[in-house]
Amino acid sequence: MNPVFVPDGPALLMEGEIRLLLISDAHFGGESELERRGVHIRSHSEQRLERLFACIEQTSPDLLLFLGDVKQSVPVISWQEERELPSIFERIRERVPMQVMPGNHDGGIGRFLKVGELLPSEGILIEDIGFFHGHRYPAPALLGHLIICGHHHPVASIYDGVGYPVRAHPAFVLCETTGCPALNPPDDASLGNTRFLIMPAFYEFAGGVDVRTIKQSGLSPLARCIDESTAEVMLSDGTYLDTIAGLKETST
Amino acid sequence: MTGPILTPSQDLKKPARNCLSPAIQDILKERGFEELSTTQEAAIPPIVQGNHVLIIAPTGTGKTESAMLPVFDRLKKSSSDGFRALYITPLRSLNRDILSRMQWWCERLDLSIGVRHGDTTQYERRKQALSPPDLLVTTPETLQALFLGSRLRNHLKNIDYVIIDEIHELAGSKRGAQLSVALERLVEYAGEFQRIGLSATVGNPDEVMRFLVGNRGGSLVDIPVAPHIQMQVSYAGDEFSGQVKAVERCLASEPSTLLFVNTRVTAEALGHALYGRGDIDVHHGSLSRDVRIEAEERFKSGVLRALICTSSMELGLDIGHIDQVVQFGSPREVRRILQRVGRAGHRLDTVSRGTILTTGFDDLLESMVISRKAKANECENLLVPRGATDVLANQIAAIVAEYGEISFPKLNSIVSRSYCFCDDDELIQRVADQLTVHRLVRIDQGMVCRTGRTRMYMNTNLSMIHDERSLLIIDITTRRAVGSLDQSFVVTWLHTGAAFIAKGQVWEVLSIEEGKILVEPARRLKGELPSWEGEQIPVPFAVAQEVGKIRRTREIQDYAHDGRCLKVIHEMFGAMDHGNHLLPTDQHLILEYFKEGVILNVCGGHQANEALARVISILLSARFGTSVGIEVGAYRILFRLPSDVRSADVLEVLETLDPDYIPGILQIALKRTSLFKWRLIQVARKFGAIDADADFEKISIHRMLNLFEGTVLQDEVYRELFSESMDVNAAQNIIRSIRSGETQISLGPLSPLGNAGLSSSHDLVAPPGVDQAVLRAIKNRLEQDHVLLFCMNCRKWKSKRTVARVDDEPICPLCGAKLIAALKPWEDDLIQATKKKNKSEEDRAVEIKLLRNANLVLSGGKKAVRALAARGVGPETASRILAKMAEGDEFYKEILKAERTYIKTHRFWQ
Repeated sequence: MNPVFVPDGPALLMEGEIRLLLISDAHFGGESELERRGVHIRSHSEQRLERLFACIEQTSPDLLLFLGDVKQSVPVISWQEERELPSIFERIRERVPMQVMPGNHDGGIGRFLKVGELLPSEGILIEDIGFFHGHRYPAPALLGHLIICGHHHPVASIYDGVGYPVRAHPAFVLCETTGCPALNPPDDASLGNTRFLIMPAFYEFAGGVDVRTIKQSGLSPLARCIDESTAEVMLSDGTYLDTIAGLKETST
Repeated sequence: MTGPILTPSQDLKKPARNCLSPAIQDILKERGFEELSTTQEAAIPPIVQGNHVLIIAPTGTGKTESAMLPVFDRLKKSSSDGFRALYITPLRSLNRDILSRMQWWCERLDLSIGVRHGDTTQYERRKQALSPPDLLVTTPETLQALFLGSRLRNHLKNIDYVIIDEIHELAGSKRGAQLSVALERLVEYAGEFQRIGLSATVGNPDEVMRFLVGNRGGSLVDIPVAPHIQMQVSYAGDEFSGQVKAVERCLASEPSTLLFVNTRVTAEALGHALYGRGDIDVHHGSLSRDVRIEAEERFKSGVLRALICTSSMELGLDIGHIDQVVQFGSPREVRRILQRVGRAGHRLDTVSRGTILTTGFDDLLESMVISRKAKANECENLLVPRGATDVLANQIAAIVAEYGEISFPKLNSIVSRSYCFCDDDELIQRVADQLTVHRLVRIDQGMVCRTGRTRMYMNTNLSMIHDERSLLIIDITTRRAVGSLDQSFVVTWLHTGAAFIAKGQVWEVLSIEEGKILVEPARRLKGELPSWEGEQIPVPFAVAQEVGKIRRTREIQDYAHDGRCLKVIHEMFGAMDHGNHLLPTDQHLILEYFKEGVILNVCGGHQANEALARVISILLSARFGTSVGIEVGAYRILFRLPSDVRSADVLEVLETLDPDYIPGILQIALKRTSLFKWRLIQVARKFGAIDADADFEKISIHRMLNLFEGTVLQDEVYRELFSESMDVNAAQNIIRSIRSGETQISLGPLSPLGNAGLSSSHDLVAPPGVDQAVLRAIKNRLEQDHVLLFCMNCRKWKSKRTVARVDDEPICPLCGAKLIAALKPWEDDLIQATKKKNKSEEDRAVEIKLLRNANLVLSGGKKAVRALAARGVGPETASRILAKMAEGDEFYKEILKAERTYIKTHRFWQ
């Protein structure tokens, strides 16, 4: 499968035998979480959904795969989600079939989904590429493949010697792991190393985690094993910036 | 239709004393007032006549009594329930003082008096609610609270007099705008009442009068200050220990001195240095109430010889007899020195003596100018904020909380009586609409109604003063707290790797989390933290220009100074002349270059220079795709630039800038700056979008602020910045005079004057679009990438180096050929293939590829090497890129495109 970057998502289209549109960390219902934290704004679900529809228009996928954290509230379902999610999913289904890889914020989401839409949280393989949310270890069957995940909300900043002209821009991280036997591929000549492609969050109000700090963030078992010297950082339009190690070096 | 502002004629039939009832006159005698002061003579008759009156007079001329005596008189003549007169003062400590003076009067006249502010006890408040005193002394914030209780509202009905003390402090601020609406809300309960304002000297009394009375008419009593002031300017040296000695010399000459400084840091530093004497103490707003009261008492009783204080002491707090006022460092504004020196002297109508101790060349000239203007009564104009949408939001919410629900016509009628919001019906509608987005009010069939959040919002937003969470600064090397910073400040100004100053030291941010900022002592001195905390008093344009004029004409005989001052001035002129440096003046701007960037010497004052700095920096950053750091002072602007941007580039920007475009450029320039976002968060708080204790940590506050694009919130930040922080008109005039040739610009190396340092604001200006910055980052990445150079002629020479170190036309040092292949470092093993004697099919293919590569380098030089260094770009792709003949940015964009294509298609994905 080949990747096509959809910068105004941010989203990723994987073109293979099927066209797979990936959206990660949409966090519909996030505004009610903001409300709890003392920030009071209107629900932006409609605008977010419009943005999602634009991605669908642009890419004509066969399947929309939510890579986790479709909603926000843990452990309960907020009033906002209760009200909005059913119609959000209906309107998506009108345009394209969808499936959901559940993330750590998706407890109870099965209630809003049709049979067959909820995928197992340890991940699945489609055309030899693995997909899972990213908060835990992937299923053993995924090891040795390229695994696309979300959860970490990576963002990149560019330092130019005087300041940060680009601040917290959604970014992709393509990396291998080191020092983590549980993520090593099985002994199988046909498989290479396990590689991860971490997607940025679709949710526009996520603070994001600077790629330079993902390894120390403790967000997942995967995070702490990232090999920073070879991990590649790309902006949401596919522009290659540098390795994480390279970015760390230029900003000090 | 606006009412007239009258100056009451002096030849009234009766002297002021006789306007008052015999009872009051007797008590006057008892207090020892044989004669009334000039102020009292002028002010009492119009007040007795029932006019609205604004009294502008120096401190210590009996303003309070001017207002209170006639009011007490009237209060005695009738009686009614509830509060009958309000005395509003900006500071809680002032309240205490007024209270004790008023208490003396009230006891003798059998009137009741009470004080109500944030510290008033529950018991006291309840007493006031049950049996309201005739005179209530309070703050603007507590007045807001009076509208929220039904019993208290009831007590407002019979208020006939409202006195606003230190009105100049309020009129120029949002607190004042909020108060002006509160007064109109009061009219709804009490009907029209008499308004009396007490003010220090201002440049535009009419404006302050409008603030007080809105459309109504009023009488102006304006007592000039000049005859009362005597000022001296001295030079204390530019080095701290010498300055301390100069202070001590001043203190020796009089038994009681108020020593004013401009910042708390300076107050602490001087306090520390003089502590050993035992007869000096420090007084400023950050100290606790008890500490401050103790200092005041000790000064009053004579135990202390001097108090080191900041602007909080400017107001008329009574601390006993003050023989002289010493100002340490230039006071920056005329009205400030007038206020401060006016604190000296005790009896009415005596002369107040003040000395300004200056601390450097600029400081000296500036003080001389301000001293001259003070004598000539040339005071700055006050700017009354009009149309401030955050104040409007706060008051609409307050009114809705008060009434439960209110129609638009009624809301408009109340609010538009205030000078700060007259004719603003449309704005009121827009603000109310915005409040519904944040669920602070509801609009239902033309009625604005409260929501579940309205009351809670009022509890935490009585004041326009900002109150928020602060984060502790922790030094990880000592594990101790070094200070604290407000959250909105941290979020907008700081990030990992940023450096800032606290407790006189430079720190570098390691991380920001869990309500703490972890720092370590900074290794480098870049990017200091801006100080926008309200302590920074801007030097006005007129003062800075006059300093420039002195530099140009070198004529200082008309200015107050002593012999040492003269010497210092001649020394600086001498040093500049000796080094062949041109002197920057009011008609000559000098651009000086130094290691970290460029300094523009311009005598514009802080606000014009701020506008100029931001315009120039955004143009530079857009052109070069780089961040530009700015540091702005009254006489200089420092631009932190990367080494490839030079003073000639800055000159070009200055010379080609069209002054008419400046406002538009600033609109764009400000939006992404820390300053803008910081102010936007403050405004958002008043709109109920962000709670006082909201936790920003996990939220992208920067993205959220984008939501306020095009709203009344953004409008307010622009209004505030354009009217208060920047002087766009003056900046335009500076540019115009450059264009017309009236003002010259020259380039030069760093001069002693240019190097004399900057004082206040700093910021980082980022290029307006992301693309330029990304392009620049890619260029840098490519320059730092390693390539393996291999000579395809002799096949012997191999060298690994960064692209930056490759020559424009690479030549083999062994054989002199130019047929050099540029490979990626891991393509080393390909080289082996070309060295074999017996090549296989595969080896032959590799050789051909390398030859193609080398040919490209031969014809394309370093440009080809750059292309070949990019990810996934081999000779085929590189030759396609080079064939496009793109230059500069376009060339790099082609490289980026090629890299993106590679990512899409390379077999890494399989």
